[in-house]
Amino acid sequence: MRELELYFGPQHLGMVGNFSITLKVEGDRILEATANPGYLHRGFEKLMEYRTWIQNFPMVCRINVIEPDSMEMVYAMAVEKLAGIEVPERAHYIRAVVLELSRVASHLFGLWAYANTLGFDTVAQWAMYHRDLVLDLFEELTGGRVYHIYIWPGGVRRDLPEGFKDKIVTTLHSIGSCVPDYDAAFFNNRLFYERAKGIGKVTREEAKEMGATGQVLRATGMKYDIRKVEPYAAYDKVPWEVPTREDGDAFSRIWVVRDEMIESVHMIFKLLDKMPEGEVYNRVPNPFKWNIPKGETYVRVESSRGELGLYLVSNGEDKPYRVHFRTPSYPHALTVLEKVLRNASIADVGNTMISLYVVAPEIDR
Amino acid sequence: MNKLKETLESAFSDLQVSIPEDDRLTIFAPKDAVLSILSFLKSKGYEHLALVSCVDWIEEEEFELIYILSAYMQKDDEYTDKEKTNIILKTRISREKPECTTVIPIFKNAEPYERELHELFGIRFEGHPRLTPLFLEREYKIPPFRKDFDTREYVKKVFDEIPFVEDKIGQT
Repeated sequence: MRELELYFGPQHLGMVGNFSITLKVEGDRILEATANPGYLHRGFEKLMEYRTWIQNFPMVCRINVIEPDSMEMVYAMAVEKLAGIEVPERAHYIRAVVLELSRVASHLFGLWAYANTLGFDTVAQWAMYHRDLVLDLFEELTGGRVYHIYIWPGGVRRDLPEGFKDKIVTTLHSIGSCVPDYDAAFFNNRLFYERAKGIGKVTREEAKEMGATGQVLRATGMKYDIRKVEPYAAYDKVPWEVPTREDGDAFSRIWVVRDEMIESVHMIFKLLDKMPEGEVYNRVPNPFKWNIPKGETYVRVESSRGELGLYLVSNGEDKPYRVHFRTPSYPHALTVLEKVLRNASIADVGNTMISLYVVAPEIDR
Repeated sequence: MNKLKETLESAFSDLQVSIPEDDRLTIFAPKDAVLSILSFLKSKGYEHLALVSCVDWIEEEEFELIYILSAYMQKDDEYTDKEKTNIILKTRISREKPECTTVIPIFKNAEPYERELHELFGIRFEGHPRLTPLFLEREYKIPPFRKDFDTREYVKKVFDEIPFVEDKIGQT
């Protein structure tokens, strides 16, 4: 049969985001897949070298459009570590609540994309609606729906507004009450099983070899989660579980996502219950004259996609000397995706890619 | 961690190993020793290469290559101090002739990282199977993430040549 080259994306119905894959196909079978990032390369890491420590926040959150809070968190953590700033106890709890809310929002967005790909339009619309409810919470808390710039070095920008805890609880209850509907329409649906079972299978050994983290690894049974491995914010203050699955395919990954959302919601309730009173912000020096001592650090958090790291170097000036983000989609989209697409069928490309939870802006940075 | 430090120091000569903070181990090694140290660390269970990065120390006329390693869990549901540890392996190469050996034989996922560094810093990794462009569309004289590439100057130079639409509207 004749070999053909096929371009999948950046303009393609099965493609979410600015990313493309070049496929070498023979009939319906993929012989070789080449990932092509770069459609959204804004050179943020270079631009950040020209701006002061605080001025970088509006850029940091734009690296991952879908879940900006963990980007803010990792940058704030690195700056705090280099400058030696302490964070008040209450701010740790608020940070954890905000990060978990954004994880829920991000997973709902992921569910929207995945359900859409499989043709579950109704479920996709539900997920989008419920994500919007979480964004409403963010709007009230921070003033921004998508980009929040709420987590700062030294704590969070301002305290929770009055009655906000109740609002979080009400919103999460109304989303949680729809879990049976989601299960009936999507997760327990035979169509989802048929379409996702065995697709994009990654074994434990392959995942470890290719630097995978997040759902890709947890879908193979390992409870690897930076929130447990190296706890930050208030994640070690409340009990919670890391959901896993065994098979390492798209079906397992999406189930891990579902269980994680539910776990996050329970965790938010526990955090809100235990949240102490007090300050939420330790003052930092005047941002225009803020020189951070010479040094380097690597910090990591668990974003909704896996290990999110930041290597930050300061040479004692008011601007970073070098910033390099280790984004979870980077190995997932460039190494894992190319591997699992080999010998797959063309119809499964979008399915595989979205189940790996790839976000293009995060790869390009 | 102290134990690992001792083992490293006894297994290799000319290493500078330090523990700058809890759960972080920094190793400074000569360029030729990188491969053997990485495979040694991998055999000790540090099998997750999180990041390959580069810092341009222009005043010292050197590039610093950084490999960040950590460990995956040994058992599926037991958290130990080992996973908490991040190892930062650093080496310096000359800026004049930036060349280094690829680490893909040891860590497969280094492939895109090295490709990125080749594109943005102009470092050649010997033995890398495809040092093709990853993000960039054009070829720059100076690789754009080097310190002597001034983004603002570049933007000014490129876009100042293109006339503003407003000026044209004013004329007609």
